Amino acid sequence: MAMRSRWSILTLLLALALVVGACASSDDDGDADGGDDSTTTEAAPEPTDDDGGDDGGDDDGGDVETTDTTEDTVELTQDGGSLLDSVQSAGSLRCGTRDALPGFAVLQDDGSYEGFDSDFCRVIAAAVLGDAGAADMVPLETNDRFTALQSGEIDVLVRNTTWTASRDGVEGATFLQPNFYDGQGMMVSTGAFDGIDAMDGTVVCVASGTTTEGNVATEFARRGLSVEVLSFESTDLIQEAFIAGRCDGWSSDVSQLTGLRSAFPDGPDALTIFGDVFSKEPLAPAVRDGDTAWAQAVEWAIFATIQAEEFGITQANVDDFLTSENPSILTFLGVEVDGTSLDPGLGLPTDFAYQVISQVGNYGEIFEQHLSPLGLDRGVNTIWLEGGLLYAPPYR
Amino acid sequence: MSAEAQRPPFWRDVRVLGWFFQLAVFAIVVAIVGILVNNVRVNSANQGIPTGFSFLDQPSSFEIPGNDFRQSQPVRDALVEGVFNTLRVVVAGLVLATLLGVTLGVGRLSGNFLIRTITRVYVETIRNIPLLGLLIFFYIGLVLTAFPRVEDSWIVGSLLVANVRGVTIPWITGSTIAFLVVVAIAAGLAWAVNRWRLQVNERSGEPARGGLWAIPVLVLVGFWGAFFVGNGITTPELDGRSLEGGMTMQPEYFALLLALVIYTSSHIAEIVRGSIQAVPKGQVEAASALALSSWHRLRHVVLPQALRIAVPPIGNQYLNLMKNSSLGFVISYFEITKVTQTTVGNRSPAVPAFLLLIVIYLVLSLIISAGVNVVNRRLQVVER
Amino acid sequence: MSRSERVTDWLKANLFRSTADSIVSVVVGAIALFVLFRIVRFVFVTGRWEIVETNLSLYVTGAWPDAEMWRLVATVLLAAFVSGLIAGFIARSREIEAGVEAVSLSPRARIIELVVRLWPLLLGLALVLALTRTVMPVLLVVSAAVAVVLGRMLGRLLPRRSPPWLAALAVVTLLGVVWLMANGVGLESWGGMLLNIFLAAFSITLCFPLGVMLALGRRSKYPVVRLLSVGYIELFRGAPLIALLLMVDVAIGFFLPQSIVPSSPVRAIIVFILFTAAYMAEVVRGGLQSVPGGQVEAAKALGLSPISTTFRIVLPQALRNVIPAIVGQSISLFKDTTLAGAAMGLADLLNSAQASTAQEQFRGQGLIVESLVFVLFLFWVGAYTMSRESQRLERRLGVGNR
Repeated sequence: MAMRSRWSILTLLLALALVVGACASSDDDGDADGGDDSTTTEAAPEPTDDDGGDDGGDDDGGDVETTDTTEDTVELTQDGGSLLDSVQSAGSLRCGTRDALPGFAVLQDDGSYEGFDSDFCRVIAAAVLGDAGAADMVPLETNDRFTALQSGEIDVLVRNTTWTASRDGVEGATFLQPNFYDGQGMMVSTGAFDGIDAMDGTVVCVASGTTTEGNVATEFARRGLSVEVLSFESTDLIQEAFIAGRCDGWSSDVSQLTGLRSAFPDGPDALTIFGDVFSKEPLAPAVRDGDTAWAQAVEWAIFATIQAEEFGITQANVDDFLTSENPSILTFLGVEVDGTSLDPGLGLPTDFAYQVISQVGNYGEIFEQHLSPLGLDRGVNTIWLEGGLLYAPPYR
Repeated sequence: MSAEAQRPPFWRDVRVLGWFFQLAVFAIVVAIVGILVNNVRVNSANQGIPTGFSFLDQPSSFEIPGNDFRQSQPVRDALVEGVFNTLRVVVAGLVLATLLGVTLGVGRLSGNFLIRTITRVYVETIRNIPLLGLLIFFYIGLVLTAFPRVEDSWIVGSLLVANVRGVTIPWITGSTIAFLVVVAIAAGLAWAVNRWRLQVNERSGEPARGGLWAIPVLVLVGFWGAFFVGNGITTPELDGRSLEGGMTMQPEYFALLLALVIYTSSHIAEIVRGSIQAVPKGQVEAASALALSSWHRLRHVVLPQALRIAVPPIGNQYLNLMKNSSLGFVISYFEITKVTQTTVGNRSPAVPAFLLLIVIYLVLSLIISAGVNVVNRRLQVVER
Repeated sequence: MSRSERVTDWLKANLFRSTADSIVSVVVGAIALFVLFRIVRFVFVTGRWEIVETNLSLYVTGAWPDAEMWRLVATVLLAAFVSGLIAGFIARSREIEAGVEAVSLSPRARIIELVVRLWPLLLGLALVLALTRTVMPVLLVVSAAVAVVLGRMLGRLLPRRSPPWLAALAVVTLLGVVWLMANGVGLESWGGMLLNIFLAAFSITLCFPLGVMLALGRRSKYPVVRLLSVGYIELFRGAPLIALLLMVDVAIGFFLPQSIVPSSPVRAIIVFILFTAAYMAEVVRGGLQSVPGGQVEAAKALGLSPISTTFRIVLPQALRNVIPAIVGQSISLFKDTTLAGAAMGLADLLNSAQASTAQEQFRGQGLIVESLVFVLFLFWVGAYTMSRESQRLERRLGVGNR
């Protein structure tokens, strides 16, 4: 008798294992279908250019039978294959981002995302898949962004993330060409303090889990000042705390502060951002360690926006350049010269730069669309010819 | 039939199979745990992250608002501060939630229509809202707007300074432990005096007035004792924009405390109501027949019996309150979860840090359960 | 007695029983009126509800694409129809059991009864519909109501021997719903209240087998099994959910091989399942204890095997007794799904409310109070409706009377 009851427990155990297994696989199905779905949306509005359409279409046609994106990713990475292949066969790009950072990425009322970072997700999708709309945004908390990257939940992280040595090393992320050169600053109510040196014994609010947190403590210690740091996960809470006078200062990247100031209830003039920038914050997209092909593909997508600005190619005039006299421009846009177009072997469609510019725009356009309205200057974020830091290697 | 024929072969022997089964279950569990542990070891090694607890001695490299903790102090000290902050909110929360909850529970059965309705609306509203939402709402909508900005601080002599940075009250200096010992001695003496008065009351019939005797004893002994062991008093003052001296309770503390008390009291109220309804009607009728006033009926007949039923479920609510205090991390109240999360953000290894966090909560749970059990047992002895 | 006398008597009995009572009534009444006034003023005058109006679909369905909206519609209608069918069948069976003919309530009485029973849900629906700008949601609600009524009428006509295939229908419907929803969009596009409901429903369903197993394990006569079950239950009941979520969020990459680490929603579901199973085990244990020992002995006497005894005699009675407790567990899980938003950044209802304040036209205006109040109201509607239904069920099942 007793023996029977223990078998019943064992059966239950097995049943449970089955249920858990079924659950896991059904989730995978969900993911896969999401991927497939994006494929169909991609196919429906045929990309403008025939080449691009064919490239994308071919890739999809070949691998559309794949039932399980996640599994696919895993196998490929384990075999030493690249995320590039699996993203192209899935037909969609999962891009880690934020949901409430003015100018960079904001969740809209229809569930879409808008901003500078969101556009760079679209840039990568346009380059890799020929369709800017194939970027699926995955909102992440500051604390779990690297976990998401390591776990393969996202393909690329474009989330206002500072490139530091330990993140390059320990966090298992590889940082690429920065899309924004920033620095950490301090924002206070206008007239409250003359400078950081006047802020002894004050409270400063920051976002938690960021380099900002440590930088404030270090900077104040260096100046021999004491400070209390309050850190919140969500920007809304910081803003409410700041407005209520809970904190005297709000420290973050200058770009973010400018964005937040532009929307401040009492008008931008009610707030002052100090001239001292107390750290270098190169904000760069990141991919997983050890996947060179994918890293290069993403990096060249970003270079394309910079190179386009250098050439003066914009979303509006890109089609005029298809008949340009300049062979470098023709090569860049993937136009066939003497029957062939340059394929540098990056695994990208030959016309990826054309897709990026025609669907999203060049660097300057993206900047002016999302960041200039916040009152942010180009500063060092201009191309090298104008004394900035943006410099794309030659495409040849 | 021989004895051997009666005994089944060992593969069908119930006892042998029983052990085999247990061994198998045990082996499966050990295997799962082993795989997980091994994964942690391998993955940590791959990423060059230590798995031990040596991070406890590293400098924390963050500061905790509202006290003297400095970033050069080790992680260990930060965790101790975190536990202390958790206890601060949990202990105050338990007391206040119980008082409010019992009041509301009694109010639910009040003969007064208004009280009955208002408590019902309160309970049924609060119980069905996520605590997290309540907490954010109280923090932004209530606490941050209720307190004045630093420039317009409320100052009551050197007794109280209150602004949006926090509420500072006079506090003791010197050894806290010594002070607690003194308070314990004073409380013991006050209790003894109170008991003596009760005996006097029983013997001679003169009014006991226990409180009138005991409280001065408590205050005087406590005061002089503290002075004797070297405790002093620090009073709050506003120095520029920062609060100096005294003890500061931050707005985050108030918001968390408020949310926990409001939320938990609504659950306690339901338990108390159910327990009061479970007290046999005859008890109340008998008390009425003895001409006890409604307050005395409640205080001496109904509540003692109701609370005996209510203690175990209220104990569960205490555990919930303690665990819910972890939500403080959302509003940057540095209780133990926030401290752990921050230290992990400052490159302490995640796995050992979070395991430690869970162990800390288990210990706190055990302490609260043990306390509830003691109370429960005592109440049951009284019953017999 | 005249009307005014009755009013006076009621006032005397309920508000002014004694002097002290009168004072309390006046003071409390004044405060209550003031609070009520502030609330009404906030809702109708000072509150700026444009942010809610604009973001309504974000709050309710997240980033669910319009092209796939038919899946939601189909799910709602299907669920409405089938639950109506089952409810109708049960109501009819009860009438036959009780030997009464169909209770013919007038339509008006029936509507009043429904309004009294479901007023929180109706209030919530009315508010959401009042805020929508399109006609689709109204159509959906109306057709769902029609589907319920239709199902209920059909359910009454079903032959009396229907339970097996009714149960089969319910299962098929459930699978159909899963298929409908799973094929629509990837989990990462789920958001808003839909995500909260999904997380809660999915986790409570899947935690059930584990919970039952742990409950049986805790009552097992084998010390190893018992110890392990107790250890598991106490471990998960002693740790806060938020700490587990944070830990799994940051540390799951260490516990699993890098290649099989699941995405955030799945991580959240795993934590919810493991966590809720411990509580479910205690609930089920309570149910098991409520089954009289005579039942087991009788089963033994009939020669039923232990498996049959457990699954055919003990568990059905035990589970029947704890249905209200399970609903209670679902309610708290539904509320706790907000923690996944806080710890893992999922775009759930509460997070969407916070994120929406960063949109260009609403940025920096302190509208977070309005959006928070609205989403908390939605949570309240869901949780309160469930809790009222559970109380009703409790009365119907006569739990505690057996």
